[in-house]
Order: sequence, then structure tokens, then C-alpha cells
Amino acid sequence: MIRKGLDALYAACGAIAALAILAIVSLILLQVAARAFDFPFRGGPDYAGYAMASASFFGFAYALQHGAHIRVSLLLSVLGKHRFWGEVWCYGFAAVLSSWFAYHACLFTYQTWRFKDVSSGLDATPLWIPQVSMAIGSVVFAIAFIDNFVSLFVTGEARVKGGELETPPEADLSPNASTAAKGE
Amino acid sequence: MDQLTASLIFVGMLFALLGSGVWVGLSLIGVAFVGIELIEGRAAGGAMINTIWGASSSWTLTALPLFIWMGEILFRTRLSQDMFRGLAPWVQRLPGGLVHTNIVGCTVFAAVSGSSAATLTTVGRMSIPELRARQYPENLVIGTLAGAATLGLMIPPSLTLIVYGVSINESIRELFIAGTIPGLVLALLFMIYTGANALLSKNWNPRVDAPMSLKEKLVNSRFLLPVIALIVLVIGSMYAGIATATEAAAFGVVGALVLAAVQGSLSVKAFKDSLMGAVRTSAMIALILAGAAFLSLAMGYTGLPRALADGIATLELSRFELLMALLVFYIILGCFLDGISSVVLTMAIVEPMIRDAGINVIWFGIFVTVVIEMAQITPPIGFNLFVMQGLTKHSMSYIAKAALPMFGIMVAMAFLLIAFPEIATWLPDVLRPTPGG
Repeated sequence: MIRKGLDALYAACGAIAALAILAIVSLILLQVAARAFDFPFRGGPDYAGYAMASASFFGFAYALQHGAHIRVSLLLSVLGKHRFWGEVWCYGFAAVLSSWFAYHACLFTYQTWRFKDVSSGLDATPLWIPQVSMAIGSVVFAIAFIDNFVSLFVTGEARVKGGELETPPEADLSPNASTAAKGE
Repeated sequence: MDQLTASLIFVGMLFALLGSGVWVGLSLIGVAFVGIELIEGRAAGGAMINTIWGASSSWTLTALPLFIWMGEILFRTRLSQDMFRGLAPWVQRLPGGLVHTNIVGCTVFAAVSGSSAATLTTVGRMSIPELRARQYPENLVIGTLAGAATLGLMIPPSLTLIVYGVSINESIRELFIAGTIPGLVLALLFMIYTGANALLSKNWNPRVDAPMSLKEKLVNSRFLLPVIALIVLVIGSMYAGIATATEAAAFGVVGALVLAAVQGSLSVKAFKDSLMGAVRTSAMIALILAGAAFLSLAMGYTGLPRALADGIATLELSRFELLMALLVFYIILGCFLDGISSVVLTMAIVEPMIRDAGINVIWFGIFVTVVIEMAQITPPIGFNLFVMQGLTKHSMSYIAKAALPMFGIMVAMAFLLIAFPEIATWLPDVLRPTPGG
């Protein structure tokens, strides 16, 4: 139940991040069109910047769950059967740090809302609106680390697969497979 | 606390965190936290959020997810299949024969994608089995592919150059323009090596395909031509000065979608996969950049970069000596870190150094990119080695050995850049909108 809920949460954040990237494309095309056909469209770069922040912060947890964040795993793989403790350190550290970050992201957004900070750019957006994406995204990121940290002790391994490097592509081109290619 | 102790704590913590397997972006935040809270004795939280929010919501950064997405879309088209068929008839007659499809294919794909892993996979999926079937020497096939795929980092759109430009606040468009000629020169060097290898090798005896008429050649490369048109659109709009890097990226995304739709490979699944792939890669890089922005701030508080730059200045190294030191430094760093991490990690320190030494920062971006390309194929941590291993199941040491000559060529390229800086600076100078600027 909790498991399903958390996975859905990460996926939902990933989807929001994807929408944010679509928003960037639309905003930029709109801006180009505004310049070409000479109609007013103010603050395009600022809006695109906010969408960029949303794409990043909402994407963090989703990327973590798919092992996309880069780490140096050389030492971890040397640890062999003691790797568990290495992972405990990594996820523990990350859980604490990301929680601290999430706390400050929320505090910051709250303060911009309270003091009614407005963007100094042409868009004059109340800044707390785009900053909510940072607050939510970083909270979910922290949840994802805590989730993995707990999973470590429950199941003996983190839920994140890979994370060492980009997952190698599925195509099998091992030397043995090449005999098949020759036969073509 | 004196600066020597401070710097030792910084470097020591950084290595401990990175080395123990903590994610790169978080390691940077952790080190910066210690720097501000413990060394400087200030509260870090507020300053951190301000900096990271500013860095994460920047307009310049928006080029990043768009270029990644564009590459992801094209990665899922028929491009991979068409690349070999389209290029093979044209390079068949050159000494070195079809091995050149590796290099030219990588160059073409590098011009639509900023990732060297995607470049390697796209080109290798098709060319490796085809070249094997024709009995080309395996080590040359593997080596040239691993080497040439690193062109993805150099030829625009290049993620490394975007990250570099964002880190030091320079025009990404200008960096992209500067990267073009060095990228092509490097590709040419790879091709010369391949040709020389074919002419000098005694057991060079691949199977040769029947020659084709010009019409057949064109028919075979008909799917490749739209891609080249897309490259011209994206890069051309930047060169002509009608689009910023981000705008060109948006054109590229639309063009790639149209191209995929026309080819019939734009299913809902392909669209979603490509977009989610872009979300992951872009979030991964954004986390590193966020950490780096905060670390730069922390280092700025301690005055360390300034002190180090002054210290280097008192050594009175010549420019060449400084560049050699940096070359060795980045190669060693590159053995353990990926290119983007090593750029963001070091820029806070290196930037004042090179600016003081009067080195052109655009040129230096290209120089660093060449060095980082080397890092892609150096063991024990070389991105391309891993991808190649996943693709071919060869052992790491075999691939690294096969790619060693390419490493040598890249070192030669670094020296070429030092000897003839115009390779990188000429084109941006010519295309700069305001003359004399």
C-alpha cells in the first residue's frame, strides 16, 4: 500500500517534470513567434527558467528511482559482501542532507510568500508560485532517499537499480552473436 | 583558520564523499555545507537555497533538457539502421574502408546529440555487426567507435559545453560555434589514423562490397538526408545569429519530432520514452549543477579560488606550463569522474586561474572538452568503456587497449589546440554579430 503510493508519487513527479519540459519548448517557440510576428509576449525567458526549475526538482526523485544520478561506485563494488554498509552510509547521508535541503526549500518558499517577493524581471511573477515546485520536488527527493534507506534494512538492498552509470543498452553484440550476423 | 587547512579540509572531504559512493551533486552540497558552517561559522541554509534557486531557474540552462530530448527522439528513430547503409557507399573506397562509417556516423550523430553514450550506441548497434561480418579487424572497429563517439561531447549541441558555459557565465552559442572546427579536425585525425592503419597493416583484408552507382548511393542515404537537413537547421540558425542556443534547441526538438513522425517511428511509447529519458538525464545534470553552484559560493566565502589563483600567479608559470599542469590534472580526474562532474567541480577554482593567465575562456572550454573526451575512454571509470562493454561484452581492458591510439590522437589534438588556438577561436570571431567585440 505505502509502497505503491510512493512509487506512484515518484512517477507523478516524473510526469510533472515532463510537462515542464514541454512547457519550456512551448514558451520558447511562443517567444520566437512573438519576435517574428511582432506581438507582445513578456517574460518568456523568466517563465522558461521557472519551468526549468520545475523540470529539475520534480525530476530528482524520479531520476533517482531510475538510477540516473551519477555516483562513483568503484569503492562500493570493491567492498563485496560488505557493500551493504557502504550503501547504508550513502543513503543515510543522502537522506539527512536532502531532508535538510527540503526544509530550507520550504522555509524559503514560505518566506517569499510571506514577504510577497516579486520577480524583478519583466514577468513580475510572485516568486513563491514557481518556488513551490522546488519545495515539493525537494521534499519528494528527501522522501525517496528515506524510502531507500528503510528498504535497505527491510529487504537488504536499496530499491534503486543501477546508478553507477547509464544503463548499458540491451542490444547484444557479443563476439558470439556476430556469427549470426555473418550468416545473413 | 588559515587557507591551507581550509583547502585541505575541502579537498579531503570532497574525495571522501565522492569516493565512498555518495551521489556527485549531494557530495558537492555536503562539502559546501561543511565549508560554510564549520569553516566560516555562518548559517548555510539560506544562502544555499538562494544560490541553488538562482542557478536552477536560469534561462541559459533551458537549452539542456531540450537538446537532450532532441537526441533522445532521434535515438529512437530508424537513424541507427540508416546510418550505416547511408554512409557505407560513400566511404567504401577510402583506405580503411567501412571503418570510416564509425567515425563519420559518430560525427553526424554528435551533431544532433550531446551525449557520447547515445552516439556510441546509435552508431555501434548497426556498424559493429556489419563490420564484423566483413572481417574488419575487431580492435580497430572497437577502438575507432569508442574514440569517435566522444565527439558527441565536442560537436554542438554538446552537453559538456552547455554545462561549461553555465558554470562560467559565457555564451553557449559562442562555445558551440567554437567547438565545430575542432570537432571536425579531430574526426579527420581519426580518419587519417584509420587510413594509415589500413595501408600499413599486413593482414588488412576485409570483404569488399560491390561498388554502387551514384543513384544507388543516393537511394541508400535517402533517410540520412533529412537528418543532415535538421543539423543544418539547428546549427545554422545559431551561426546565422537568428537564434540563441535554447531557441535552436527548441527548433531541433520540433524538427526531430517531425522527422520521427514522417518516418513512422513516433509512437506514443517512443514519444513518452524519449521525454522521460530527457527528464532523467536533465535532472541528473541539474543536481550536479545545483551542488556546484552552492560549492562555488562556499569556496567564494573562503577566498580559496582567489588565493590559489594568486599563488599560481606567483609561480610565474608560462601559459604552456599552466596548460600542461591542467591537462595532467584533468586526465587524472577523468579516470575517476565523468566529464560533466569534473568540469563543474573544478570551474570555481580553475576559472580565476585561466582568466588571470589571460587565456581565452571560450578556447579553454574547447581545450577542456578535448581532455574530457579522453576521460571517456580511460580506465577504470570511462563512460564509453562501460557502454562499449554493455554493447559488445568485450572485457574492459580489451576495449581500453583498442581505444588507446584514439587517446593518443586526442592528446595530439590538445597540443594542436595549444599550437594553433585559431582552430577554436577563428569561427566565433568571424561569426560574432558585433565586429571587433
